[in-house]
Parts: sequence; structure tokens; C-alpha cells
Amino acid sequence: MIRTALALARAGGLVVVLVAVLGGMALVTATGVIVDSGFRSQPPLRLAGADVVVSARQSIPVEEDLPVALPERAGVPGSLVGAVRAVPGVASAIGDLSFPAAVVNRTNTPSGPTTLGSATPGTPTAATPGRPAADAAGQDGPSPGTAGPDEPSPGTAGHGWASLGLSGRLTAGRPPRAPDEVALRGGRLGARVLVVAGGRPAAYRVTGLVDAPGLYFSDATAAALAGRTSGARAGTVDLVAARAAAGVTPGDLARALRQRLGDRYEIATGRYRADAESPGAAAGRGLLLALPGSIGGISLLIVGFVVGGGLALSINRQRRDLALLRAAGATPRQVRRVVAVQGLAAAVPALVPGAALGYLLAARFGELLVEIGALRADQPLVYGPLPAVAAALALLGGVRVASWAASLRVSRMPVVPGVAGLGEPSRARTNAGLLLILACLVLSSAPLLVRTEAAAIGPATAALLAVIGLALAGPWLVRRAAGALARSRWVARLPGPGWLAVHNCHGHALRTAGEIAALGMVVTLGLSVTLTQTTISEARSRQTSAAMRGLVTITAPGLGGIPHGLLDEVRRLTPAAGMVTTTVVTGPLEFGDNPRLMARPALGLGPDAEGLIDLDVVDGGLGGLTGAAVALDERAGRVGERLEVIMGDGARVEARVVATYRRGLGFGPIVVSRDLAAAHTTTGLDGAILARPAALAPLLARWPGAEVTEVTEGPQAGAASAQTLVNLAVLAVLLAYVLVAVANRLVATTTARRGELDGLRRLGATPRQLRRMLRWEAALIAAGASGSGIVLAAVPLGMLGLGFLWRPVPAGPLWLVPASVLVVGLVVWLAVELPARRIL
Amino acid sequence: MTPVVTLNRVTKRYGDLVALDDVTLAFPRGRFVAVMGPSGSGKSTLLQCAAALDRPTSGTVVMGGTDVGGLSETSRTELRRKHAGFVFQSYNLLPALSVQDNITLPLRLAGVRPDLEWLGELVHRVGLRERLHHKPAELSGGQQQRAAIVRALAARPDVVFADEPTGALDLHSAGQVLDLLRELVDELGQTVVMVTHDPVAATRAHDTLVMADGKVIDVLAAPTSEELAVRLTRLAGEPVT
Repeated sequence: MIRTALALARAGGLVVVLVAVLGGMALVTATGVIVDSGFRSQPPLRLAGADVVVSARQSIPVEEDLPVALPERAGVPGSLVGAVRAVPGVASAIGDLSFPAAVVNRTNTPSGPTTLGSATPGTPTAATPGRPAADAAGQDGPSPGTAGPDEPSPGTAGHGWASLGLSGRLTAGRPPRAPDEVALRGGRLGARVLVVAGGRPAAYRVTGLVDAPGLYFSDATAAALAGRTSGARAGTVDLVAARAAAGVTPGDLARALRQRLGDRYEIATGRYRADAESPGAAAGRGLLLALPGSIGGISLLIVGFVVGGGLALSINRQRRDLALLRAAGATPRQVRRVVAVQGLAAAVPALVPGAALGYLLAARFGELLVEIGALRADQPLVYGPLPAVAAALALLGGVRVASWAASLRVSRMPVVPGVAGLGEPSRARTNAGLLLILACLVLSSAPLLVRTEAAAIGPATAALLAVIGLALAGPWLVRRAAGALARSRWVARLPGPGWLAVHNCHGHALRTAGEIAALGMVVTLGLSVTLTQTTISEARSRQTSAAMRGLVTITAPGLGGIPHGLLDEVRRLTPAAGMVTTTVVTGPLEFGDNPRLMARPALGLGPDAEGLIDLDVVDGGLGGLTGAAVALDERAGRVGERLEVIMGDGARVEARVVATYRRGLGFGPIVVSRDLAAAHTTTGLDGAILARPAALAPLLARWPGAEVTEVTEGPQAGAASAQTLVNLAVLAVLLAYVLVAVANRLVATTTARRGELDGLRRLGATPRQLRRMLRWEAALIAAGASGSGIVLAAVPLGMLGLGFLWRPVPAGPLWLVPASVLVVGLVVWLAVELPARRIL
Repeated sequence: MTPVVTLNRVTKRYGDLVALDDVTLAFPRGRFVAVMGPSGSGKSTLLQCAAALDRPTSGTVVMGGTDVGGLSETSRTELRRKHAGFVFQSYNLLPALSVQDNITLPLRLAGVRPDLEWLGELVHRVGLRERLHHKPAELSGGQQQRAAIVRALAARPDVVFADEPTGALDLHSAGQVLDLLRELVDELGQTVVMVTHDPVAATRAHDTLVMADGKVIDVLAAPTSEELAVRLTRLAGEPVT
């Protein structure tokens, strides 16, 4: 059977399958690496000397779903250090603290132990109000792309001297003892440096040099700088790190600790220590899970589409042979097996190179994620074997299913010689396709009813459905359209080549429709995904810029947050409001939210925002944003209600709703009070100051590290724009894959038409006429693809524009429309012209 | 009367193989000529050279007063379009086109307005008037070949070349097709050159050329099928009983 299958196989069709599987393998593997990293990617371990790390729980379990990760540090009582020390098997234990700390020089540029960042005024960095979600740990820092891989985020660079015992060694000098002493890496002993630590700028003397990243203060100083000597966090530490006694394995020690301390704490060993050390990084990598999820459906669909198309082409070429096989006594099942074996034979050689390509693609992708700030530079992607294995299984399964589906009709062909006709599309297929296209129109009206970001899923899904519908109903549509064209007077008067081309498209509707649907998909998806994103971000930025009109933003990305005192000084010059960006976890607040618990970035504003930031308040006022208070989107609740909110560090708060507002698209459905937000972030510092423009330069000259930008963004913008960029990058790769696959298919089809072309030559067609005929066909295919693609994208995008921008046109760049037509035309022309020149 | 096609000392080689060996020949107008011979005798090569589908290695082929040898591919196509029609064993009808569109295809390619009266007569003669708007797949083999014959004659060529036109047909359909070809010659004054390996088919022709080893070894005028069978069997080297 296998021998028969391989003997029957025609190289052309199977090469198309091979290429499709190769590309599919690369895409799925790369997506898999991202997902895998979403679970496992970690920054380097700081407390490498610790065997076990005890910390607060930094996640909320959710029934039947992934736990919600908490990015902000939740402390543990200082008494826990003693409790851990008392457990048998513990050799030593320390309470570890991390707090914002950065060395600045006098030239208004933060410069850490080495250069911390090259942020210049006007550059939107990670510390603008809308920070990328990976950074939402409150670890405001220079954009991860600009920090060295070994540099800690300035939001958590400060530690007590006790921690050094587990992270590194003193290489010169002596430990810091006085409150104005510091030890660091790469400085000069005895030098005086200006350090902003815990939001307080002060001069320190370097007394010791160490070989670990970060700044080390005496333990008492560290506790004071980290805000653990008074207030809500008095006496707490971030985590307890323990060393095991000789002969005790970390596993044993962890078991002993769990027994003694119970389930209240996270007890981490091995690589999980890094998660306990940086909850922000652990929560931030969750974004990696969300990214491919948003476009994974499209990519699987596309891979299936392309692989299925290649198989269909291969089968169509063998129709006659397969019919003969049936005539020779093969059962339909055997015929299907022949087809399946051929498909797998073409797929298997593509698996390994495809996987290799996938890992390369993932690496490029990782670079992109770091560049846009969605991934920390010190948190590399994880390259395990699992994604490749999963991708191989998925693709082999896909090929198996696709070959079964594609061979169903051929295998059931009656055993009558010479019936191998041109293939009529089945009625059911056409109806299903037309129904899907109709359903897409209904779905795309979602933005008219709901104006939240989730509503954009409507048009995006609609475009997907429309593409599937086009693939199904395509042959029938092409037959109708080309038939009408063929009967028209205009075509009847065309010279031979054009006339023939129209008739060929009509007669070979199945083939033509396959090409048109695949290329139409490129146009539809390209336009709808891109313009949906631009439309929503346009709508969002319209809201935020209206809300923050005439304000400037002051940030201090290199310092881990706005230093204490700066806001007061700015206020003396001009109206100003402090702003915290944090993460809050709530029940569902808007359409499309997770029905159980939903973590999202949120802005923390105080009463000083009243009259400065215009959220288009419907009821109540921002003046009430003190203590446990929140403001909500008008559709999410009413003033006076109470709302349970889980803060970024896991603290549960019963908050009063003090205001409702309309600008939910720009600011998200919830804004929390600044007091509340600051009390539950890792740094405890403001992320930014919003102020009316004034002569701020002299002031800022006295505050090194602080800078002014004109950029005004809501909390959603950063995460959303990272996601947008990633989506667009993935989409670009996907569409390029489709284009290559379709081009490959066109080349194979054109080459396979040699017999037909020879026949035409004998009937008196000159090579020039045949080339002209092929060009006409290419033009018809390109026109059909562009036309149907644009129409299918236009309806959802029109609705989206109406819903979000009050006009039936999406936000630009509208040059994408002619550009996509041009690309499709160019690909078709090349894929037809080059083989035509070779065979004619 | 001038011959429609003349071959003067034509030799065609494929590598070491001599497919046509110094053949000189003229196809007269208004005759139905059959070309016979065992496999590999060069009959198909003769047809291809005579029809200007291929260029001879040496010698000259003159069609419609033009020497084919010096012409480009495109010029040869245009020459063929004007002077020759073709009928193939496998019909070569385009499945995507209706019978009518198939028939007029060469005219369209030549950019010539179809002579409707002439086409009407041909279609009537081959009995396809009711089938003009069907697709080839909906026709029987005999009907398809008859449509192909109308197509070959649509431009009123000087000569129709037929390569095993009955090879794929059953006895009855083959008989109809041969009758038709003979009629076209006798009643409409056409010229037909037909390659065949079927002695029965060859008996419908006016003359039969017998080929062996790239040479024309015999020209028989209206032979009987028995005569032809004997002649051919002897060529194949088998004893005759």
C-alpha cells in the first residue's frame, strides 16, 4: 500500500504540502516556545546561595482556570525569619528586602553601578503612565531593552547587607554600617555618590565593593529606606531565604518548612526561587500566554488552510490515477489511505527543518518582545523540546485529517471510466460558506452595541468567519461570477488570450477559487486585524488625549519611581497630580472579561486629579479618591456601591465607588485611589506626575533622573500597544507564509499545465498568446482576491469605525488597502510569469 | 495542381536516432493520404515535420509556398494557423470550453472572424448541431472527435493532419469518423493526411504511404485491407501464412 501510494505521488502537489508543513511547523513551534516561556521563563536568580525561599503567596487560585498572578510584592512578617531559623535543618536564614535604588550623577542622567539607561526627555519609556504589563510589577525601570542583561530593575535594586551573603561576596572594603554608606559593584572605594533610594535622594559613601548587581545598605538603613520601620509594612520583609544545614537537601528542607509553617507561605526551591524573588517577572510572563492566544486561532486556521490546499491540489492531480485504482479494485478506504500516506510522506521530511526554523523565529520574536518592552531583557525565552514535539503532533494530525477530508469525494467516485470531470462544488459546501459570510455580517455589528475593547473581537472574528466562508463558497461564487463574465459581450469581444483566460477561470472554478480564497484571506486578515487595532488605539488615544489635554508627564524611569518630595515641589509651581500604575484583580467589570477573576492594569489617582484629568465624570467626583475608594466606568457600577478589589499584592479591599466616568476605553473600567494603589505596590512610589505646563526645567535640574514628556497615555495603552505590535508582527509572518504557500501552489499549478498549453499551441496559439492568457488569468485571480478580500474586510471595519469613531471608516493607515492589492498582484504575477517563461 | 506541402530531402535526428531519413515527398491537394508503418518507423515524425510542428534537422519543408525551416516558433505557429488543421488521438478539446467555443478557438487565436455559413454546414454534416453548448465531457468519444474535426476545418485550412484519429474510438465511432474525413475530401475538396496503424482505417484513404526505418518504402493506391495487412506483417518480419 505504501509503495503504491508513493509510486502514484506526483512531486508537484506534494512539494506544496511539504512547504506548507515546513512553514506551519515553524509557526506552531515558535508559538509553542512563547507559550512554554509564558509558563517557565524567569529572570536570573539573585539569591543563588539560598536553598529555600519562603515568601507570601503571589497568586490567587481560580477554579478551572490558570491562577491569577500577583505582580506586586506582598511582604511576610519579620518574625518569620526567626521561625524559619528555628526549623531543624536550617543552617541560616535572612529576611530579604528589595526597594528602589539608583545611583545618579549630577548631569541629570541616572547612572547605576554601570549606566542604567539612556532615557532622554521626550522618549516614551517604560515608566510613562502606560507601562507595558510585564513591568506592571511596580518595578518602574528603564525600558528593559536599554538595561544590561545583568542589571536589576531600579525599582528593586536596593537590598540590605544581609542579603549579600546569599547573592555574592564583598571584594574590597568593608560592609556599609552608617546610614550614609553603601556597597556596590564597579564603583570606587571612598567615593561619594548621589543615590536615590526608597524615593529619597541622598549622598552616600562607597565603603565596599561587591560582585553582585544592586546596591547594598546596612540592614537598618535598608529597612528604613524600604519603609519597613513604620506604617502598614512595619516589621515586614519581602521574603525569607534559608540555607540548608550540611547533609540536608533543599527538598527535605522545603518539606520540613512546609510542615512547620503550613500552607500560608510559598516555599520555593530550585528554579522556583526566581519566581519568589521577582513576582513581577512571574506575573509579567503571563502576557506571553495572552499574546499567541490572541492570534493563535488565526495561525492554526491558516496552517490548516494552506496544508489542506496543498493536499487538495495533489489529489486533484491524481484524480485519474485514483479513479484507475478504484477501477482496479481498491476500496474507497484504501484510496483514502493512499492519499494519507502520500500526505504524511510529504510532511515528515519537513518536520525537523520546520522546527529548527521555528526556534529561530521564536528567538527573533523574543528580541521583538524585549524591544517593545513586553519581555524583560534578563528574562530569556525557554527553548525546550516540548513545542517542537507538540507542533509535530499537531501538524501530522492536521495532515491526516486534511487528507481524509480532501480525499473523501475522490475515494467515493463511482468506478466509471472517464468521469474525472472538473469537479462541481457540492451544494452543502456552498450553503455552509454563504451562511458563514452572513453570520460574519451579524457578528461585525457588535461594536455598534458595545463600545469596549472586547467588542473588537466581533469584527476580528467576523473577518475570520468570512474567510472560511469564502473558502467554502468560493468555487460556486467564482463559477457564477466568471460565468457571468464569460457570457458578457465585453468578454466575447476580447482577443483570444483574454477570452480564454475568463473561460479557464470559469471552467476550472475549483482551482481558481482555491487561489482566490487563499489570497483573499491575506487581504481580509491583513486589513481587518491591522485596521481594527489602529481604530481601537485611535479611539483610545482620542479619549486619553482629551482627558489629559494640556498636561505634561514627569517620570523618573531610572529611579524606579517618582522620588518623595518632587510632587510637592512641582505643586508649588503648577497644578499637578501624582499617578500610580498598578494591577488590580476584580470580578468581571466589562463585556468580555473573565467571568471569575480578571487582572488588569489600573491607574491610581488622588483627589488632586480633580480638575486636572478629565475622565468625563458622570456622577460623583475624583475628589473622593482617598483611602479605599475607586472610580468606575459608568457601565461597570454606580456611585455609592461597594466593590471588592484585590490589589496587586493580594490584599483584599472593600472599596467605595466614589465616581463613575465615560472614558473607560482610554482609562480602563476601574481607577483606584492613589493611596490604595501606593500602599500595595512593590515600590510604594508614584509612577508619574501629571502637571500643567510650567517652567519645570530649573526644578528638574535639581532632581536628577526626573524628566518631562509630552506623552499622555492611559494605563491600557502600554500593554495594548505591546500586544498590538506583537499581533501585527505575528500577522505579518503568517501572511507572508500564506503568500509563499499560495505562490508555491500557483507555480505548481502553472507548471502542471504544460500539457494543456502544448495542446493549445498545436491548435495555433503562439507562446506570446499563451503568456498573455496566463497573465490575464493572474490578473483575474488577483482582482478576485483583492475584491473579495476588501469587501469582506470592509463590512466589519465599517461597523467598527461607526462604533468607535462615529464614522463608517476605520482609522488609517488606509494606504494598506492599495498596498495589499499591490502585494497580491505582484505575488500572483511572479508566481505565474516565472514558470510560464520557463515552460513556454 | 500545386501540392499543399512538399518535403525535400528531409532528415530528422533525435540524438543518434534517425527518425526520418532523407524523405522527399509532396502531398497533393484534394487527396486523403494515409501514412502507415510499424511503431518507430517514423510516421509520427513525418507528420510533425510536414505539419511544421517540428523543424527538420536537414532538408526543407514548404507549406503554403513558405519554407518552414527559417521561421521562428511564432511565425511557424502563424503559418500553421493559416494552412493546417489538426486532429489528435486524444481529441485535445479544452474541458472548460463549450463545443462551440472549442470549435472557434483557433479562429479566435488567429484573430479571424468565423465564417458562420461554413461552420454551420460543418456542424450539420457531423451531426453536432444540438450539442454546441455542451461541455466536451458530456459528449461521447466519437462526438468529441467529430467536434475536433470541425475545429480543424473551421479556418478552411489547405490540409488537415490527423494523428491516429480513431485510436481511442470503438469500431462504430471510428467508422463514422473515417467516413466523415473521406466525405470532407470528396465533397468539400479538403486535403487530409492521416497517420494510422489500423489497415482498415487506411483503406478509406485514396493513397497509403508505407514507412519503415524513417523512409517511405511504398505508395499504394487504394489498397485493400488484406494487401495492407500482408505488407505490414512482412515489414514486421513475421512469416505470412
